[in-house]
Amino acid sequence: MRSTVLDYDVSKIVELARQGKRIDGRALDQMREFSIQKNIAENAEGSALVTLGKTKVIAGLKMEVGTPYPDSPDKGSISIGAEALPLAHSEYESGRPSMSEIEIARVVDRGIRESKAIDFNGLCIKEGEAVWVGYLDFYVLNGDGNIFDAGAISALATFNNAKIPKLNENNKIVKHEYNGTIKLERLPVLTTFVKVGGKILLDPTYLEEKAAEARYSVSTTEDGYMAAMQKGIGGSFTVDEVNYMIEKGFEVGAEVRKKIIKS
Amino acid sequence: MKKIVIPGELLSVERKRLGGNVFVSEGKIYSKVLGISDDESDSASVVPLQGKYIPQVEDTVVGVVGRVVFAGYGININSFTESFIPKSAVREQLKVGDLVLSKVSNVNEMREAELSFPKRLFGGEVVEVTPVRTPRLIGKNGSMLELLAKGTNSEIYIGKNGRVWARNGNLELLKKVVLFIEENSFKSNLTNSVEDFFKKAVKGN
Amino acid sequence: MSKNEEVVVDYKKTKKRLDGRKMDEIRPLSIKAGVIPNADGSAYLEWGQNKVYAAVYGPREALPKHTANPLRAVIKAEYRMASFSVPERKRPGPNRRDMEISKVLGEALERAVFVEQFPNTEIGVYVEVVDSNAGSRVACLTAASVALADAGMPMRDLVSATGIGKAFNELVVDLDKAEEDAPDAVDIPIAILPNSEEIVLLQMDGLLTKKEWDQLVKTGIAACKKVYEIQKKALQEKFKLGEASEKLVEEKVGEKKVNTEKVVSKEANKKIKKVKK
Repeated sequence: MRSTVLDYDVSKIVELARQGKRIDGRALDQMREFSIQKNIAENAEGSALVTLGKTKVIAGLKMEVGTPYPDSPDKGSISIGAEALPLAHSEYESGRPSMSEIEIARVVDRGIRESKAIDFNGLCIKEGEAVWVGYLDFYVLNGDGNIFDAGAISALATFNNAKIPKLNENNKIVKHEYNGTIKLERLPVLTTFVKVGGKILLDPTYLEEKAAEARYSVSTTEDGYMAAMQKGIGGSFTVDEVNYMIEKGFEVGAEVRKKIIKS
Repeated sequence: MKKIVIPGELLSVERKRLGGNVFVSEGKIYSKVLGISDDESDSASVVPLQGKYIPQVEDTVVGVVGRVVFAGYGININSFTESFIPKSAVREQLKVGDLVLSKVSNVNEMREAELSFPKRLFGGEVVEVTPVRTPRLIGKNGSMLELLAKGTNSEIYIGKNGRVWARNGNLELLKKVVLFIEENSFKSNLTNSVEDFFKKAVKGN
Repeated sequence: MSKNEEVVVDYKKTKKRLDGRKMDEIRPLSIKAGVIPNADGSAYLEWGQNKVYAAVYGPREALPKHTANPLRAVIKAEYRMASFSVPERKRPGPNRRDMEISKVLGEALERAVFVEQFPNTEIGVYVEVVDSNAGSRVACLTAASVALADAGMPMRDLVSATGIGKAFNELVVDLDKAEEDAPDAVDIPIAILPNSEEIVLLQMDGLLTKKEWDQLVKTGIAACKKVYEIQKKALQEKFKLGEASEKLVEEKVGEKKVNTEKVVSKEANKKIKKVKK
């Protein structure tokens, strides 16, 4: 395992946090600038390149015709995967998905699934026989912390208005032709925090994640629901801290949502 | 005339004195790296624009203690390998994360640097820059370094390994100036630009 | 292109390719150097529909230790494709094709980099294809070469690559997917060190006569040189020299500079005088 983070850097982050400050001058509850660029991968049914501070993530969607699960014959499904590419950071290694990559993918997936952002009934082709399965994979191109939120934004932006391939009489995909787009019913936004030096920091950078004692993510919707939560790393949060983060989640979620709609 | 050259670019068809970062093939001189070359100079050499720190004897470097072992300390000097300092070489006990200023006394075939005269640096902050650009931060005869120290009232050490350590004074301003020099290191009239930068900064306050 | 491609295309008759290009014309190619902040060097490249990212980390300690070579740096190249970069989804994880391409890409770069300068280290070269349409490996090699130069790696030359071959009864440069699928298609990825025209990558798929090869190799090298010009521009554009003033600055290039550094080192060693307010 390569280690390049200097402990010197980490202690600096903790020191600053105790004073309510951050290395990049942000407020503790301030998110970094982010941008969304859509439709980069022409072979994909939908794609989005998201930059959150220096973190860069690209997501793409491929739709396939599959057979429905026996207990939900009229519902399509989605499958979300995440990969932190070795090209994104000197400490990222190639190989099988690590536990972190799997966790991130599952948390992003949960937010979208539980909030019923996608109408799975709308993805039914022929009840009991054929349904759409959407495979969304996102890749980290440059890692500077908070892959959770960057990944979630890229997934949402990708699904939003993604093209649905055209089918022929035998329910086989017709290449390069499309029929309709995916419309999201809700836009669940994932917001992630870390606890450093006893303080709660929103949208951590890579170094802030290294300095963190605990991490928490919450997915919130525009109509007041929480769709997913995940506490990570060791450490702990008090009930008050979690309540604070949930409230912030709704607040920040609203801002992020506006940008996703515009993209 | 100075121009940007890329690896493999032809610098001269005639014989010239050879400087750094060039190679000869069939009597012609080529650049090894992405950098700046001056074809009016009487020697062929290239100042690299990018690159890791390659230790050289006599270099002053700012190191960070990465490991503590029984016999001494593994010091990260931002190069290919760690350097080792025996416990006997330092007066006090060091711990991981401590900053040390020292001189490169020897470099072996594996590019491992031996460090001497380690001196602990207390407090302050470190700014990392592209190692090959540190000469610009120092300037001819230390002129740029003096300009930086005066303009910020800070105590500054510039490590050839791309680390600038500074304490006291206006560290925020220093970071901005260092970044400015980094981004404009290959442009002419840099000293004037830096002086202007300081003037504007003072006005802004 | 509609599915029913029963029409027999003959380039000798049409004198133009399906996308309108001339036989020796490459698709639009653009490169940007320095796009991944964490990497030591990087590049983003678009070639036709192909879109790839390349990043270089190194020279750095070779891990695991047994892979280190005491005489030189080891180049570790990895070629991967995003699941959504191809028309039919690619399952995550490297397949055999990815492994083979990773190997030949790494081997192509070895001759270019002065690996003897960095014994016991490794140079990690990672390329990721996010969209593709034939020729992704030469796109990746071209991008990787720019990333290596961007990292300040000492090299004897860049590596410039392109695809050459045959499609629809004519010899062509830079085949696109439609041409790769032609019944008589021959696909030859080739890469050279532009100065010496040494070939560092060469593979072939298909049936070709020696006479056709003799013609192709010439056109291929010429096309690679066009690619080289674009790579060169991308690197130069990242650093634009300042004002037209040719005045040499404090730092003189060449031997004098070495002396300057020595003087300065001693200066830096002395305690820098604290300027008191």
